[in-house]
Amino acid sequence: MIIKDIFSDILLGLAVLIVIGCAIGILMMPDAYAKLHFVTPAALIAPLLVALAIMVQMGVYENTGQSFLALFFLAIAGPYLSHATMRAIRVREKGDWRPGRAPAKRPAEEKEQ
Amino acid sequence: MTMGFVAAAIAMLVATIPAGIVLCRGDTGSAVVAYEFISTVVVLVLALLAQAFQRSSLFELPVLLALLMFGSGLVYIRAMERWL
Repeated sequence: MIIKDIFSDILLGLAVLIVIGCAIGILMMPDAYAKLHFVTPAALIAPLLVALAIMVQMGVYENTGQSFLALFFLAIAGPYLSHATMRAIRVREKGDWRPGRAPAKRPAEEKEQ
Repeated sequence: MTMGFVAAAIAMLVATIPAGIVLCRGDTGSAVVAYEFISTVVVLVLALLAQAFQRSSLFELPVLLALLMFGSGLVYIRAMERWL
């Protein structure tokens, strides 16, 4: 086994550990707010480690570029999705995401009236 | 075929089982969080399998899924906020 295989396997092992830890965290945490914290490492750190493992294995190559492109899209989408998810859960629970505001009516409720 | 990449892909697929349990049995907010986690892991699995089988063309799948995950996630979240 050559040295780049060893480095690549170490990086992949770290990525797998992060993903498994996040999966256990999502299963164990009590509510959606707490579960949401475990999506970010799987969406940012694990893809970075996988992209680095591919780069170690292949060097600067087409596969490396495309894996970093996927990482870029995941890194862009992750914070937006986390924020939007947290906002939507709060709107569902409180009626409005801002503190002290009256609950906004849903379109289905407006149609009934 | 690189066995390390295949083993990592299988391990990550196994890691989707706890999130699948949350997706099926949790409340709506938790299910959306689990869906986001599973789609992220599937992007990684597709990239790992493409590398394992040394097929450059297969790398388009994780790139497209990562891009589409953003739009579909926002659609689900908006639907959850307003209608579900």
